[in-house]
Amino acid sequence: MTARALAVVALALGLAAPAAAACAKPRTSLGYLEGQIMCPTCHTTLDQSDAPAARRIEAYIRKRIAQCATAQQIETELVRNFGAGILAAPPRKGFDLLAWWLPIAGVAGGAALLGVGVWRWSRRRDDEPPPPGSGLDPEDERRLDELLARLD
Amino acid sequence: MTRPLKLAVQLVALGCVAGLLALLVWRLTHQQHAPKVGSAAPDFTLPRLAGSGTMSLRSLRGRPVVLNFWASWCDPCKTEAPALERAWARYRGRGVVFVGVDYHDVTDDARRFVAAHRLTFPMVQDGSGDVTGRYGITQVPETYILDRSGRIVSHLAGPITAASFADAFRRGLAKALGS
Repeated sequence: MTARALAVVALALGLAAPAAAACAKPRTSLGYLEGQIMCPTCHTTLDQSDAPAARRIEAYIRKRIAQCATAQQIETELVRNFGAGILAAPPRKGFDLLAWWLPIAGVAGGAALLGVGVWRWSRRRDDEPPPPGSGLDPEDERRLDELLARLD
Repeated sequence: MTRPLKLAVQLVALGCVAGLLALLVWRLTHQQHAPKVGSAAPDFTLPRLAGSGTMSLRSLRGRPVVLNFWASWCDPCKTEAPALERAWARYRGRGVVFVGVDYHDVTDDARRFVAAHRLTFPMVQDGSGDVTGRYGITQVPETYILDRSGRIVSHLAGPITAASFADAFRRGLAKALGS
């Protein structure tokens, strides 16, 4: 009788264990991480890939989400497994920060140069004295006068 | 625009163009191709799949090596696995070392694959694909056979069970053993 009771308890615990392992309130979503993680074999994000490697990584993410892992934890684990190249965007720290700041610096520098150029060009146009006379050379001016006189 | 400023802008633009050109040249010269038969196999040190520790290819110098690149998500690798294990059982007594290089794989999946197919030869993991890239692997499975001095004697870009590769595999092993 005792053995049977123990078996029932063990069975109940065995059935309850997976339920207890499931996360009641997930801390991230597959949809979010699919856009953050690259498929290592096809070099697109997971949401754009149907490669077998991508599907295995998705299964891993699904499992970890069910275990209440955060996006940060899952990303860290995947980087440990696959290297930093698995991330769609470089991390915002250390040398990788350059990848974030260089484009911003480039655009800002380009805009500043363009601004300075336009400002100088418009100032030069304002400062330029108006051309003397009509701007025609004397010979053309004489021929134009003759033509106009003939029309009169 | 003043002359020094104009010169500075021109220099910056020239620097940018030179930088982009250098990047292009670097990319073209560093493209990864499969090493040729007869050339030295690229050396590597990778973590073992079964636990802690690493394995380097250099440490196997003096013995013929069968280097098999695989992944748990690759269907032909499943077909090939039993044949590889049989070949390992057959040739290990003659000093041949088989090394499985698991590529772009979730570690747990890879370990399950090894257990499911009862593979007993040494396995290393190339999660980032750096080493695999140096071997020019574009699809798995692929197998390189190296002689005792670490030179490539055969390269099979497909499962060794394929009709076209079965003979080549045996010939490669014979060549490696004769080296």
